[in-house]
Amino acid sequence: MKRDHQDICGADGGGYGNSSGSKGESSITSKGKLWEEDQDAGDMDELMAVLGYKVRSSDMADVAQKMEQLDMAMGTAQEDGISHLAYDTVHYNPSDLSSWVQSMLTELNNPVLPNSDSNSSKPQQHQQIVSSNQSQVYNDDSEYDLRAIPGIAAYPQPKRIKTSMETDSSSSTTEPSTQPVVLVDSQEAGVRLVHTLMACAEAVQQENLKLADALVKHIGLLAASQAGAMRKVATYFAEALARRIYGVYPQDSLHPSYTDMLQMHFYETCPYLKFAHFTSNQAILEAFATSNRVHVIDFGLKQGMQWPALMQELALRPGGPPVFRLTGIGPHQPDNTDALQQVGCKLAYLAETIGVKFEFRGFMVNSLADLEPKMLDIRPPEVETLAVNSIFELHRLLARAGGIEKVLSSIKTMKPKILTIVEEEANHNSPVFVDRFTEALHYYSSLFDSLEVSGVVPPSSQDLVMSESYLGRQICNVVACEGVERVERHETLAQWRSRMKTSGFSPAHLGSNAYKQASMLLALFAGGDGYRVEENDGCLTLGWHTRPLIATSAWQVAATE
Amino acid sequence: MARSNEVNLNECKMVVPLNTWVLISNFKLAYNLLRRPDGTFNRHLAEFLDRKVPANANPVDGVFSFDVLIDRGTSLLSRIYRPATAEEPQPNVAELEKPVTAEVVPVIIFFHGGSFAHSSANSAIYDTLCRRLVGLCKAVVLSVNYRRAPENRYPCAYDDGWTALKWVNSRPWLQSQKDSKVHIYLAGDSSGGNIVHHVALRAMESGTHVLGNILLNPMFGGQERTESEQRLDGKYFVTLRDRDWYWRAYLPEGEDRDHHACNPFGPNGRSLEGIKFPKSLVVVAGLDLIQDWQLAYVEGLKKADQEVKLLYMEQATIGFYLLPNNNHFHTVMDEISKFVGSDC
Repeated sequence: MKRDHQDICGADGGGYGNSSGSKGESSITSKGKLWEEDQDAGDMDELMAVLGYKVRSSDMADVAQKMEQLDMAMGTAQEDGISHLAYDTVHYNPSDLSSWVQSMLTELNNPVLPNSDSNSSKPQQHQQIVSSNQSQVYNDDSEYDLRAIPGIAAYPQPKRIKTSMETDSSSSTTEPSTQPVVLVDSQEAGVRLVHTLMACAEAVQQENLKLADALVKHIGLLAASQAGAMRKVATYFAEALARRIYGVYPQDSLHPSYTDMLQMHFYETCPYLKFAHFTSNQAILEAFATSNRVHVIDFGLKQGMQWPALMQELALRPGGPPVFRLTGIGPHQPDNTDALQQVGCKLAYLAETIGVKFEFRGFMVNSLADLEPKMLDIRPPEVETLAVNSIFELHRLLARAGGIEKVLSSIKTMKPKILTIVEEEANHNSPVFVDRFTEALHYYSSLFDSLEVSGVVPPSSQDLVMSESYLGRQICNVVACEGVERVERHETLAQWRSRMKTSGFSPAHLGSNAYKQASMLLALFAGGDGYRVEENDGCLTLGWHTRPLIATSAWQVAATE
Repeated sequence: MARSNEVNLNECKMVVPLNTWVLISNFKLAYNLLRRPDGTFNRHLAEFLDRKVPANANPVDGVFSFDVLIDRGTSLLSRIYRPATAEEPQPNVAELEKPVTAEVVPVIIFFHGGSFAHSSANSAIYDTLCRRLVGLCKAVVLSVNYRRAPENRYPCAYDDGWTALKWVNSRPWLQSQKDSKVHIYLAGDSSGGNIVHHVALRAMESGTHVLGNILLNPMFGGQERTESEQRLDGKYFVTLRDRDWYWRAYLPEGEDRDHHACNPFGPNGRSLEGIKFPKSLVVVAGLDLIQDWQLAYVEGLKKADQEVKLLYMEQATIGFYLLPNNNHFHTVMDEISKFVGSDC
């Protein structure tokens, strides 16, 4: 399946890495900001790279030497216990072997001790948190405790941006993309159903509508004899195909409060949204660690479900919570109700009960591209730390030319300390219909399968139906819509990484503490075994079995030279 | 003490390519962090550090893969690797389980290593190895994501292996054209090699035909401290202490290393005399401290009149088969290819 990289809908984010350009190309187009990457490019040990480790051949001997030192240090520390390396140290980005080994050497040589004055001796002050006793509290044997505030906020120091292995991941997207498939149903009927769905998609692409029509009806029959997730997925896809064939495109005319409600049910039924909120909050909390005034701009406030947990964490901070400002963005309401204010009020009430000084403002826009930083009352970074948060919002901007560029540019003007992004981990934006259809079929099959089995108590049938409906609308959009109407333009983490780097952002890695806590959160769901958190080059993904389904990444504005 | 450590590290660096040394040392260091003295295991950190790769239904270098949920109850997944054919360079994702077409298609059931506690079927090192086996043996490879210790002790790994074997054996699409039977080989490294033996036993006991066993640096042991264990302790990435830890994590509580899982030809072992056991290919690395146990295993097979070929790679350390940058690698791959190819 050849992938056509010209996005015929004109929503092509200029220069984003799915083109066949080389690493060098993207470096040149980004005004020289990524010159370091150009130098770093190449020279990676290929054999190691295949195994998931990024080490430059020229660095190999140095890494080996550091490993020897670490080995010896760990050997001598055995008596005292190297447990703190495992328990308290937060590990980041294990693919970057050099940094990983170095950070452990540093830890062993300069352990962060509780109530220690030795913090002052190290120049990397800003890396260590003010109240260092946090790190010792983070004990691996502890009961599941989401209240533990992560310890050392060890973002890469500015100089590490130059020396670290921030290889342009667009190289991975120049090759044919990966198609991860997990088969949960190998029965004959299921196979025939998938066959027919694919054949129908082919017919649609070839504009053989008569054949497509016949096939779509056949799908209906086949689906009826299936059970469970497969039946539901097939039904939604068949419906979407039918709409496309008959030209009955659904309008996105549902009242936003209805779609919010559908999302609420989805939130309750399965851990995806909770994971998204949780992991983003971890990154935000780390960014906020040393600030007394903080501001979060939420690109999709909806019911504000992400913020109570964050506020509770802030409230528990030793030394007291910072002043917390929240700016919530949302769509215009057709009946002129101020849904945003309603949510703001609820959060304000909560803030008062837990003792957090709280301010809220809401902005209604039809598109994030309509936002102007001036409107948002951004205060200077010295005065107030800003976090921008986007959960499943950015991909919608790909429906219109220039949208994503405008928004990313606005974000940079705002100078956030951190930008958290959660997106669906799939390429549902291929202009080739069959490709898009196939990807979506596998993606939503996994998603629906997880809904079938998840939940400590089986979700009420209403919850399940609503969740499925929520997802069903996405399916419909991906399959039946085109142009500006097609807003569910999901792209993969690799694609987003490339775009973010080209746009002047550098990764802020999520570490083993966020990973562990996210994993523990999942264990609460009875489908627990099936849900997997994975670390992916500094980002975290949540998937069903081996198929990642959503990805959380965190970003900071790249240091300019 | 520090000085002899230094000597060890230097010696070790002489016998393997630098990137291999870095790779295996990385595992060694990481694994040191994960094993707790009280016998528990830092699973979260282990999963965080493990480099994993997704399955890929798009062929890469002529091999495509997909994951299958074999048993919902235990969330038993396996990753299946198949060759893309000249006639069908891009498999249809609706036809991933399309019947194999050749007269004889070896199906290799692979059990990854990790001393029963580490790694997964989707670990990058094992995904890479399995992909190689496909091209090498013109085989379909099924890599079992068995349950690991210490959370899941004996016999979970063997149970999962057996479940996978039954599943493979009952797939019509894996039957060779020649005789409408599935031509099964079992293969594994380290703990995977151990699992191969025990799953083969179950297969024989229930009349399921396995054509051959491939054991790469298989993990065996016993209560006794053997000469190789004492001589090589700590010299080439592995220590007796860590070996002991993993057995304690896998074996039932209270059992010692003469349990038959660990020591199949030891005092509690089962005799294979009179049983038609699959032919075996056993690869032993000359710098592996548990080689005495591996050699004893080979002897045990011979004494029971079973067909076994020993490949003793003198200067090889553990993990030599993970990177194609040394002669041992190529020698072993050749032998595996011959071993699997000889049933046509």
